[in-house]
Amino acid sequence: MTATSFAPLDPKAPVVQMNGINKWYGLFHALRDIDLRVAPGERVLICGPSGSGKSTLVRTVNLLEPFQQGRLQVCGVEVGADEITRAARLAVNRRVGMVFQQFNLFPHMTVLQNLTVGPVWGGGVSRREAQERALHYLERVGLMDQMHKHPAQLSGGQQQRVAIARTLCTQPQVVLFDEPTASLDPEMVNEVLQTMESLAGEGMTMLIVTHEMGFARRVADRVIFMDQGQIIEIAPPDDFFDQPQSPRLQSFLGQLLT
Amino acid sequence: MTRFVRQTLIDPRLEPLIATAARIRWRQAWFPTPAMGVLSALLWLTFVVSGWRFFQWAIVHAHWLGSSSDACPGDAGACWAFFVARWKPWLVGDYPSDQLWRAWVCFAAFALFWTWVVRRSHAASMQRVLLGFILLPAALFLLLVGGGPLPHVAPSRWGGLLLTLVVTLTTFATALPIGLCLALGRRSRLPVLRWLCAAFVEGMRSVPLLAVLFIAATLLPMFLPNGLKIDLFARAIVAFALFNAAMAAEVFRGGLQSVGRGQLEAATTVGLSDFAAMRLIVLPQAATAVVPALVNIMIAVIKETTLLSVIGVNDLLGAVESGAKSPDWAGEPNILTSGQVFLALVYLSVCHGLSRYSRRLEAGR
Repeated sequence: MTATSFAPLDPKAPVVQMNGINKWYGLFHALRDIDLRVAPGERVLICGPSGSGKSTLVRTVNLLEPFQQGRLQVCGVEVGADEITRAARLAVNRRVGMVFQQFNLFPHMTVLQNLTVGPVWGGGVSRREAQERALHYLERVGLMDQMHKHPAQLSGGQQQRVAIARTLCTQPQVVLFDEPTASLDPEMVNEVLQTMESLAGEGMTMLIVTHEMGFARRVADRVIFMDQGQIIEIAPPDDFFDQPQSPRLQSFLGQLLT
Repeated sequence: MTRFVRQTLIDPRLEPLIATAARIRWRQAWFPTPAMGVLSALLWLTFVVSGWRFFQWAIVHAHWLGSSSDACPGDAGACWAFFVARWKPWLVGDYPSDQLWRAWVCFAAFALFWTWVVRRSHAASMQRVLLGFILLPAALFLLLVGGGPLPHVAPSRWGGLLLTLVVTLTTFATALPIGLCLALGRRSRLPVLRWLCAAFVEGMRSVPLLAVLFIAATLLPMFLPNGLKIDLFARAIVAFALFNAAMAAEVFRGGLQSVGRGQLEAATTVGLSDFAAMRLIVLPQAATAVVPALVNIMIAVIKETTLLSVIGVNDLLGAVESGAKSPDWAGEPNILTSGQVFLALVYLSVCHGLSRYSRRLEAGR
């Protein structure tokens, strides 16, 4: 049966290691000297004002965004800024999962097909096994009864849970979340956060961009504050929220509370 | 400030029936103000008078039977006898009489295929429909040309509606795959391929079809090496195919662009290669989005086939015009007029049917 623990092969090696990553959009310096290490099983949460580069940072981890300077090591795949090829991106993405703000489910496929297409065509898994995996993870996100529907027939929260199950079906060593609840109605945010929390409880390595501060306190091992393309502060959640050191973070948190 | 708290929830109920009488609603629709009323009445009058006169000409005073222009004296009524007597040229051209069953099979096969398409217009079977559009013309073409146990019939003997049908379908079957390749080529990573495809598409789009046809008909044979002869029909088909491939390429390009970047990114993150992502995620969505525009191209192709008569291929228009010049039927201008009205009606019914179909596809999505 499918594994429910997500430990990587070498338990000590970092899952993600970014060394001196720099990225520009034309003249705009989007990421500046990013150094970050994510250990296996760690839950790292990233927040910051819009335009601070937090989405760009997670999208760089699975090479959806190329970078111009620095070295990146993800799940044993190492790439420099000038070595970002299709092959490297494919290799990284077969070990890394991602959940998008807009869900990005495949609208022309049923829920079940959404879940099996990656393992079957990308992972070389047999159809039968992909199906078993899909059912297993659908059960986990509590959507067993929706498997023959199309994404448009589901609510936003259900769609995002399907997206989480879809990425789990590829058995990633780390899952990136890019503002997973930002486009959901308030009533549906909780069902997604609960799914993510239970995932965290099983030791999945997660890199999460979000503004859900209560969730951050409950789940995160470390919280990162970003502004203007750089990492301003990294701290355990309690220190992060109760004793922010940098003035920029203090004013950011102050605005969140009022 | 007063406070409001609902005690019992309101159950849903039906919308009330419309109280206005039909007569009053009719008056409000057609004669809302005096000026609009006058306009409505005038338009109605024009419509009724011209419709009545057309009815008089086309049905009441029409001549239905006869074997020469003597059957249609004067110009008070249409000369349908022309079509009844000369049914063969405008239906199948000069196709050998003892092999006519092959032409009938073609018409029947197309009719069957069409009802099959119209019946199942849902997105799920769209790929099968597109495949049918490629396989059916090839089969019809082989049946008409013959070979093996069937005697060979040169394409120069085909004509009329049969030719129009075959040209349209063959053009579609070749232009679609070529157009798709061109559209994909314009997104290629190889700059040379990208430029070549873009240059071809933009070039074809900025030249009139008639010029392309003339190049294929008259200019091309001069450049072919000695001894190599491609018949006029084949050259015309190639010209049609390439020209409409450029049109289809633009449609496909729009369809590919309509699939959001997020879909490709999601496909990448579940581990699909670029090729698999294109085949499984992007193309199926693009194909569904593109079908109404492709039907429009098909309508255009049907109408463009009339240009074939200019370069001497015996299509429906050519068959009617040369028929009106034949010794038995020459002399009465009313006969040519009837022919043109008849052609207009044929094209109108075919193209209107197609556009209704594409409307339905759009509404179905």
